[in-house]
Amino acid sequence: MSAVESATPRLYWPVQRQRNRGAGGLLIVVAAFLALYAYLFPGLLSVGGIAKFAQSWLPLALVSMAQAILMLAGGVSLAIGAMVSLGAVIAATTMAGPLGVLGGTALVLLAGLAVGAACGVIVVRLGLPAIVVTLAASFIVGGAALLILPRPGGAIPAWLSDLLAGNTPVAALLVIVAVVVWKLYLATPLGLSLYAAGENPDAAYRAGVPVDAARILAYAVSGLLATCAGLFVAAKTGSGDPVIGEAFTLNSIAAAVLGGVGFLGGKGAMRGALAGSLLLSVMINVMYFLGFPPVAHYIAQGLIIIGAVALPEFSARRSFR
Amino acid sequence: MTPAPNLAARGVSKSFFGNVVLRDVSIALQPGRIHALLGENGAGKSTLINILSGALVPDAGVVEIDGRAFRGLNPREAHRAGIAVVQQELGLTTELSIAENIGLGALPRRYGLIDYRGLARRARAAMDLVGLDEDLATPVGDLPLGRRQMVEIARALFREPRVLILDEPTSSLSAHEVETLTGLLERLRANGTAILYISHRLNEVMRLCQHVTVLKDGVVTADRPIEGIEAADLVRLMVGRDTGHLFPQWTPTAEREPIVQVTGLSSGVLRDIDLSIHRGEVLGIGGLVGQGQEDLLLSLYGALPASARTAEFNGRQTLPSSVRKANALGLAYVPADRKREGLHLIHAIGWNLMLPSLARAFALSLRDRAKERTLATTLADRFAIKGDLTRQVQALSGGNQQKVALAKWTPAEPKVWLLNDPTRGVDVETKREIYALLRRLAGEGKAIVLSSSDTPELVHLCDRVAVMREGRIVATLEHEALSEEAIVAAAMGAEPLRTAA
Amino acid sequence: MSSGETIRFPKIRPAALLASRPFLTVLIVAAVWIAASFAKPGFGAFGHLRYLVELGAVVGLAAIGQTFVIVAGGIDLSVGAIITVSAVGAPLVTFAFDESGAFAALITLAAATAIGILNGLGVAFLRAHPMIMTLAMATFLQGLLILLAGGSAISAQSPLLAWLGSARPAGVPAGVLIWAAASVLSLVALHATPFGARVFALGANSLAATLSGVNVAATTVAVYAISGLTAGMTGLLLLGMNGQGYVGIGDPYLLSSIAAVVLGGTSILGGSGTYAGSIPGAVLLVTITALITVVNASPGWRSILFGSLILALLLISGRETRRR
Repeated sequence: MSAVESATPRLYWPVQRQRNRGAGGLLIVVAAFLALYAYLFPGLLSVGGIAKFAQSWLPLALVSMAQAILMLAGGVSLAIGAMVSLGAVIAATTMAGPLGVLGGTALVLLAGLAVGAACGVIVVRLGLPAIVVTLAASFIVGGAALLILPRPGGAIPAWLSDLLAGNTPVAALLVIVAVVVWKLYLATPLGLSLYAAGENPDAAYRAGVPVDAARILAYAVSGLLATCAGLFVAAKTGSGDPVIGEAFTLNSIAAAVLGGVGFLGGKGAMRGALAGSLLLSVMINVMYFLGFPPVAHYIAQGLIIIGAVALPEFSARRSFR
Repeated sequence: MTPAPNLAARGVSKSFFGNVVLRDVSIALQPGRIHALLGENGAGKSTLINILSGALVPDAGVVEIDGRAFRGLNPREAHRAGIAVVQQELGLTTELSIAENIGLGALPRRYGLIDYRGLARRARAAMDLVGLDEDLATPVGDLPLGRRQMVEIARALFREPRVLILDEPTSSLSAHEVETLTGLLERLRANGTAILYISHRLNEVMRLCQHVTVLKDGVVTADRPIEGIEAADLVRLMVGRDTGHLFPQWTPTAEREPIVQVTGLSSGVLRDIDLSIHRGEVLGIGGLVGQGQEDLLLSLYGALPASARTAEFNGRQTLPSSVRKANALGLAYVPADRKREGLHLIHAIGWNLMLPSLARAFALSLRDRAKERTLATTLADRFAIKGDLTRQVQALSGGNQQKVALAKWTPAEPKVWLLNDPTRGVDVETKREIYALLRRLAGEGKAIVLSSSDTPELVHLCDRVAVMREGRIVATLEHEALSEEAIVAAAMGAEPLRTAA
Repeated sequence: MSSGETIRFPKIRPAALLASRPFLTVLIVAAVWIAASFAKPGFGAFGHLRYLVELGAVVGLAAIGQTFVIVAGGIDLSVGAIITVSAVGAPLVTFAFDESGAFAALITLAAATAIGILNGLGVAFLRAHPMIMTLAMATFLQGLLILLAGGSAISAQSPLLAWLGSARPAGVPAGVLIWAAASVLSLVALHATPFGARVFALGANSLAATLSGVNVAATTVAVYAISGLTAGMTGLLLLGMNGQGYVGIGDPYLLSSIAAVVLGGTSILGGSGTYAGSIPGAVLLVTITALITVVNASPGWRSILFGSLILALLLISGRETRRR
């Protein structure tokens, strides 16, 4: 061995650093909002406060990750809300029964993967537009949720509710778990291929990248995240509601947009989607605590999304391309 | 008995939208040999490469790997068989690092995850081969064009291919990088790799290659060792005639009053440009690729926000702030990338020809289809665009597409034509037609601004050439001072030999 | 030069027309109608079919705007909300002097168009992705709706609305007449005016359109304005037919308008297609909904059937050819 031969160059962590260069600005904005929130409601700065906040954040974080994955793949899902409902009702109807918590969770995961993969196959292999396919899927999945549980009901074992949505910071931990899972996913060949498949599918195909497989997997993972969010929502409320997921579709897109994940595919990091969901969560909580009527929610959310899109437009130099 | 070639095509034919692109083409890539593939633009080279690499399936004929025939080859299988292609158009993912791009499609695995250590090691090795010393983790989006080209080559080498296909690999490389590449190819050849080399630069081909196949209009016109053949012969095989009279006779025009004058033009990468464009002249814009030529044209055309100290366009004291205003002032722009910027591929030829007129017409008037058809037919006749005008534009060859991109502006009778690399990817016959058209327009008193990376074009066609470097005009050469050396010298920043007063 | 024998513009063969997507959709509608009238007596009765077409007018009107927007390369996800706002807001702008209700209708249409213009401005000048802009607008309108209606239904009566809902001049429902008139205008605008050509140019390649001198911003604002206007018309028609407007009245029409457009052969990617296909597409959609209602299933099954049938129809007729 020559003394000059260097150790294997470090690659993984430098890559992570490089890839997240742009997230700094966004994180500062998020920190500022959190500071504002803490200033208004010092109760945030306690274990209970953090726990409660994380519990309202987690579902939103999961669905925005679900949406962001698809945007990276060059698609979009309007069925996220329905998937959340599906996850919720599956959990609420199976966990108290013979399958138990483990069986119920497994079913939730399976359902998410299966429905997601089905959408993926239709969009990717059959070439149908994602918007319409997922819009139609939202009706199918929503209907299935209604069939499983026609009216709010079912039950989640109390201990699970307490664990996930009680006074414990488990929700915050789950966010971290989600991030770790995403990192793992990106560290798989199919996961990394997603960036290539989204940015330039033709060139990627010619380079031998498994474009179709990567995109279908993205749809499957997206479905998985959405139903998991539903599971958590059910645990939080203690029961299932077949239409509980409705608002999540728009919120997931809003959060992903806020975080800068583009519709163009291949751009942006998951960190952006998480930050976006955090921002949105903070804003919703702030408005609620400040006593804004529900009207204001919608109006504010609409304005926020537009603002998030317009701001980079105004600050960047107007250029032709 | 000769061993089977690593990769071969036998009797391959392919058509697109009724256009026959390859007709019964056969080619055999032997190991340890650098095989040149020559042909002018539109002769079918890219299609042949795509078929050899599995990206396209031929209509007839087979691809043979080590003598075994494959009818429906796909890129993954081709990669597994050891075939690697370096495309002309870069296909890198800007978000990902150099190492990840290099390994894409062939990422080393460990327990289902990417083996980053292995990737780092092998990517570094591939980068060393091509002389890339950047940090492995640098996002590809940070690299300039030339370096990205090297990453593409590194990616091909990463797979340790048995067959390496390179499509115009030196188009964006500096002289030093070309040298590195040449040395590398020699080493690979000595190691037994079969190499297919496509290039327009005949001197490169003559130096590097041992065997040559010439394509002309989709048919093989020659397939022989390089030894004993001259560059001129090769050209004749590609084009079928002497290229002597490519450019029309240059005659100076009498009218030289200015129609556009700007001082202090700044925008994007442009820095304080003073420019004067005269009626009846062909003004060339030269320089190395990416020095601001496109920004200059776009700024004049109102497509790029720009500011200027003074600006006079066609008698009006104004700098057009939008494309429509520029059109109203008598400007027309023909982009370099006709597929993405100049034409609407999925729409009919006739429709494309009419678009600028339709863009100007009153929105809610009724279209006179008969009049449109007559006008479109007249344009098509004048520009020698043959055939059914209801076909989609993408059914046309590159040269004909370029003619459509030019012809569509004719009804607007522009006084200033801004042309961005108008003969890129165009066959020789069409080039000749375009050159004749440009001189004719100049003769009629129009002003032509021609940005081109083809130096002979600038030398033979233009009355003056402004050479740009780093966003400025560093030299303006009058016709008497025009020569390839002068332009290149000015472009590189060497001492300008002679400049206009 | 081209020889005299080369035909520059071949005549359109009638056979080609028969193979076109719009005609295929008409065939599917006919097939479904015939099958249904055998399966369920009374389905094929003239009165019932006329009612279906009347319902189709609602979707068809909304699909006009959606067609323009989609051909221009965008999408309008605020259609449902604009419909609801129009249906709920019109009763609120009745004035004493406005005996016929025409003034209220005009104000409503103006408001709907203004919302569309805002959408267009956002897409054109803020460079907001159409999905985001219109989704944000829809959210915004949701809040507005709560302010306006608070959750209860608002009834409305006016001669104009009554005419819209129940008049049958020459046996043709008023809604269908309006739809027919609007359809003709739309087809003319899209296929026989420079404006229409610009819409196609924009959708096929906005960059090339800009460089060719098309006023991309104005065209964008115009198509979204049209979408707002037709959504407003849809809302008024619904109000006339239902007698009242309530929150959520317009929601089903979002998917319906998009599906009608796509089923009719217009590419969701933009740049090609025609409203001529959206017309049978709208009727087809309405037929499906009616069939599902007839089956009398639970809400869950109805929803599943609706989504599945749309998906099935898309599979049969809606493949996207990869554009090069």
